[in-house]
Amino acid sequence: MDLGTVLSMILLAPLLAAGLIWMFARQRAVLAMTLSLAAAATILGLSLWLYFQLWDGTAYEVSMEWMRLGPLQLSVGFLLNDLSALMLFVVGFVGFWIHLFSVGYMNDDPARGRFFGGLSIFMFSMLGIVLADNLFMMFIFWELVGFSSYMLIGHYITTDEAAQASKKAFIVNRVGDFGFLIGIIMVYWTFGTVSLGGLQELAHHSPDSVTTAMGLLLFCGVLGKSAQMPLHVWLPDAMAGPTPISALIHAATMVAAGVYFLGRTFFLFTGEALHIISWVGVVTALCAAIWAFGQRDIKKILAYSTLSQLGYMVAGFGMGSLYGLHHGDGHGAALYYGIGASMFHLTTHAFFKALLFLGSGSVIHACHHEQDIFEMGGLYKKMPLTTLTFAAGVIAIAGVPFIGAAFFSKDAILYVAKMTNFPAFLILTGTALLTALYMGRLFVIAFLGKPNSKSAEHAHESPWTIVLPLVVLAVCSVAGGYAGLYPERLGVLVQNWVPLAHGSDHTLMLVISAVASVVGLGLAGLVYGFGSKTDRVEDKAPPVYAFAKSKFYFDEIYNAYVAKVQDRLADFVSFLDTLFISGLLVKGTAAVAGLFGIGARRVHTGSVAAYVWWFFFGLLLFGAFAGGFLDGILQK
Amino acid sequence: MSIGLEDYLFVSILLFAIGFLGVLLRKNTLIVFMCLELMLSASILALIAFSRYNSTAANPLMEGNVFVLFIIAIAACEVAVGLAIIVALWRRIQTVELGEIKELKH
Repeated sequence: MDLGTVLSMILLAPLLAAGLIWMFARQRAVLAMTLSLAAAATILGLSLWLYFQLWDGTAYEVSMEWMRLGPLQLSVGFLLNDLSALMLFVVGFVGFWIHLFSVGYMNDDPARGRFFGGLSIFMFSMLGIVLADNLFMMFIFWELVGFSSYMLIGHYITTDEAAQASKKAFIVNRVGDFGFLIGIIMVYWTFGTVSLGGLQELAHHSPDSVTTAMGLLLFCGVLGKSAQMPLHVWLPDAMAGPTPISALIHAATMVAAGVYFLGRTFFLFTGEALHIISWVGVVTALCAAIWAFGQRDIKKILAYSTLSQLGYMVAGFGMGSLYGLHHGDGHGAALYYGIGASMFHLTTHAFFKALLFLGSGSVIHACHHEQDIFEMGGLYKKMPLTTLTFAAGVIAIAGVPFIGAAFFSKDAILYVAKMTNFPAFLILTGTALLTALYMGRLFVIAFLGKPNSKSAEHAHESPWTIVLPLVVLAVCSVAGGYAGLYPERLGVLVQNWVPLAHGSDHTLMLVISAVASVVGLGLAGLVYGFGSKTDRVEDKAPPVYAFAKSKFYFDEIYNAYVAKVQDRLADFVSFLDTLFISGLLVKGTAAVAGLFGIGARRVHTGSVAAYVWWFFFGLLLFGAFAGGFLDGILQK
Repeated sequence: MSIGLEDYLFVSILLFAIGFLGVLLRKNTLIVFMCLELMLSASILALIAFSRYNSTAANPLMEGNVFVLFIIAIAACEVAVGLAIIVALWRRIQTVELGEIKELKH
């Protein structure tokens, strides 16, 4: 079969499932689940076939014209290369297991038809981003994932929290997408094309300042979608959605789309832009790690950890590309180090973060929707498999040497940071310690010690549909760090382009990772205590806790800005609108026409004699005009 | 005295004025209709008079006469249609007074 046909089938399978669910299965939960799961299995199966048989590993590009607006040609097409193949695998693989998990997790939900339909729509939009071969197509799917994210965050429509969170996610993303769209237009303006292949050839020919501005505008979209500072505020709130959604969309795939996009357009970023991008990532990584200490909700802690890891990826892209520019050979290939560093972490993160979220989902499911970690405790006796897999996730994210996936991927990022930007290296190393500490806090409080509430006492192991994805993802979390284990077609990036430390640096990295992870996890046990009922830091050092809990007042500042500035401006504009546009322009025109109508209606009597009189006067007027009697009046 | 072009034109204008005033002032549809025909006749008269007095020895054809025959034929058709409308009006609303016929206003 043709490669393009297979890619189309991969893309359209979830759309077909979503359409069928929308038409026939909104009230039939089992049918909806079957359709959605079948679509996910199709994606995974076809993409595996692609890697092992069909695709020869060279970049494959196909596109066709969709519409033409003057000189602007919009096309749809696929670009399959090392990067999109890896991302396709991540989305397909993690997506499938999360679909399976959802079957178990959502078994008592009354609106499963809507849920699984939304899940399929999401898979469709996400695959569109992954496969798109031009920026406009990517933008369309970019907005579509925004929509599906909105729809799925707001799944529990009866709660105010979910409604607010979905609205917030949508609006904050719009802010970023505004810059993104301007960036795309600027790209088209500068290069005359938006096709990724075409851009790669042209990218070096424009002046640096223009390219820098362009790159930063495109990065605005990444700020929104990948929840980087200062547009990170929507992601923690998005945890109001169902847990599988948090795992799939708000941890493993959609939020990583920003990082993927950076990799897809790496040739558009100049040194200056890369510096700014790396600092945004570094600051996000640090701040989010601090904020995680102020949270009691298991999903919120994981959300801040996602933010922090996304910061690592973005910083890894920025500094990896800089590293390549300084040490690599030639502009084009050198930048691949940025993709390698960020995509490796993206892949391992997708495994362990999906695992952690699904583990928290399993816990929440077992504890009757209790999400406060201080109400849990002692779960290791009740749910041994969940605890074991969750522990694998904690080890992976903390980066324990050789058994945690993040040990390899995070080390690559730390190494490029050390080589290019020493302050950032120090911050990221500190953040690695914090990561181990807050994940350890979550684990020792929620899983160890004794049960702290009735719901935790009555917890029991979840059904196989929930546990099986956990086990699979736990295996991947441990094995995902070993680049050699990736199949030949998938591993090109992680095997060749991940910047690895050599010699003394290698030892240094190993020591840093070992110390950060082990000390972090150990400290967590010492400081917080196994299964404690209250946050000991909150008891002993209230200012520290308050500092973390404050989230640096971003929400408050935004709310104040909206209430004080934006709402007033909106009121003013609305007043102008009422007065001028809808008042004078619309209603004024209508009034003039109406007045004229009233006058004209008077003339329209229906009496033939009156019409003859009008005719007669008209004739006189015409005669006078033709005879030149009116010239004196008309010329003045 | 001999009868010249001016005399014909005078009669024509007179006929036209009578017809016009009739259309303006009379209320009975039948009479208005007859007045319309009168105006038509007035213009025919003017046309034939011009035609007659414009003829020369070199051009004796007087093409206006042919036109007049056409106009009379068409006027006959028009009268047939017009009278039919008036009869239909009577059948419908039992009046031919112009002041009461206002339906086309709507």
